[in-house]
Amino acid sequence: MRILDQLGSPLIRRALLEAVLVGALCGAVGVHVLLRRLPFFTLALSHATFPGVVLASILGVSVYLGGAVAALGLVLAVAAIGATRRLEASTATGVALAGAFALGVLLQSAQSSATRNLAGFLVGDILTVTVGDLAMTALFGLVVVATLTVFHKELVLSAFDPVAARAAGYATTRLEVLVLACVALTVVTSLRAVGTILSVALLVTPALAARQWTTDIGPAMALGAAFGAAAGLGGIAASAQWDVAGGSAIALAATALLAVAVAVQQARRLVGRQAWRRGPASPEGVPLP
Amino acid sequence: MARLLLDPFRDAYMRRALVEILVLCGLAGVVSVYVLLRRLAFVGDALTHTIFPGIAIAFVVGRSLFVGALLAGLASAVLLTAATRIRRIDHDAALGVLVGAFFSLGVVVVSTRTSYTADLTALLFGRILTVDTTEIIETTAIAAAVLTVLTLVHKELVLRSFDPIAAEAMGYRVVLLDLLVNALVALVVVAGVRAVGTVLVIALLVVPGAIARLVGERVGPMLVVSVAAAGLCGYLGLAASYEASLNYGVRLGSGSTVVVALTIAFILTAGAAALLRRRGAGRAAPGAAVTAAP
Repeated sequence: MRILDQLGSPLIRRALLEAVLVGALCGAVGVHVLLRRLPFFTLALSHATFPGVVLASILGVSVYLGGAVAALGLVLAVAAIGATRRLEASTATGVALAGAFALGVLLQSAQSSATRNLAGFLVGDILTVTVGDLAMTALFGLVVVATLTVFHKELVLSAFDPVAARAAGYATTRLEVLVLACVALTVVTSLRAVGTILSVALLVTPALAARQWTTDIGPAMALGAAFGAAAGLGGIAASAQWDVAGGSAIALAATALLAVAVAVQQARRLVGRQAWRRGPASPEGVPLP
Repeated sequence: MARLLLDPFRDAYMRRALVEILVLCGLAGVVSVYVLLRRLAFVGDALTHTIFPGIAIAFVVGRSLFVGALLAGLASAVLLTAATRIRRIDHDAALGVLVGAFFSLGVVVVSTRTSYTADLTALLFGRILTVDTTEIIETTAIAAAVLTVLTLVHKELVLRSFDPIAAEAMGYRVVLLDLLVNALVALVVVAGVRAVGTVLVIALLVVPGAIARLVGERVGPMLVVSVAAAGLCGYLGLAASYEASLNYGVRLGSGSTVVVALTIAFILTAGAAALLRRRGAGRAAPGAAVTAAP
């Protein structure tokens, strides 16, 4: 394991910490993404932060600020296109995604040559994480997790049964916006680690792996966070071992975790079914249905 | 004005770029209507990312990018169709996982090369201005194949879009129709991705159909509007990027200028449609009150 020899380097230590923080945050928030069927929206969000990030780097302001403003713009654009009622949600998201992404590339191409930065924004550049980035990640992560914890009951109710939530007097639209804002903040936070395109992988895959084990939302969030953090650790280790891009290695580690989770669950189900067939019949000797 | 629209295409490389763009726009304009009908915007976007590892591997081992993209495209069409049929996993989540996994695989493969970032950028954003005759022929061949298949199964695809249960009851194999559409979308991505990059392909697969939907409701007219909008924006975008880069010193990437042209066309159409509807509603209201809708 080359990663163990490299632990002395502050560069690697910072990358590991960032990967674990971002992985845990994405794993927890991802459960809400799955609950509300937001994966495509998340993908659009991650593409849409791109023009904001490019503009921020041209203007020399914080890339987090640029990304957050652009994400907000995308939420509004999707809502506006969706309000025309002639186009359904996924088309609206697709149009906003394409427009925003192209705007980012256009801004980038108008600028003097900076392809290095471009690739960094797209697939992340975790080895260049600074202490400031780490503090930012921890701060944003705390805000998001605290929000999701405080509104847990309301968010789960409105995801499963929006009509009942509305009848119970909750402002469901506001809750929806709250979740979207949390997802947007998470995407912006993970920019440095995995880049704009791959944040969707971290927001979907660990949470889906967690959902294979439990359907309870609270435990699924905890498990998702654990899986995300594990993917972060494994990804950085693999990246050090074979000298490949860090952000992508994290995404692939998460995919491997998911594959294992699905395989184990399938095996358990098969074994369970056979045990059921062989198992004790009901007292009357009539097999249960 | 005529000078602005004709001058850019004096040079042979700009003419080749124009032909490539127009062929692609015609093809994608048609396919994007089916993408809209079947709500495949996410699948289309997913395919642009899942094709990437095929290109990356072909690039690293020095084989034809076209073949790499083709193989990855068809493999991911099969996987996507299979993923959307797993009942226990939500369709969108399955697509999200596939996008992440395939795209990262591509990045990992490319990152083993030293000239990593420049290669990655070229693969993602294409280079329409250096397109050669062979590539145009490949694109045209794909376009001809896709359009032929669409003409043959148009009726079945429209039926499946509007009423999948009826299609199933009439004995059509819905899985096969879904696989076919996904494979056709994959072919469009393969045709476009090297020349114009993933960004433009996503836009070409979604925006022209959305523009057409704002204008009309019937499938036939929508196809015409979609192709016309895509072709016009392709042409104007290319001309604008040439003008801006050459005469105004603002270097605009040609692929992304086409997408921005498409987005502007979408916004204008949406604005015009909203205005027309408001005016139409204002005029229709009194009459509607008299003839009370059935």
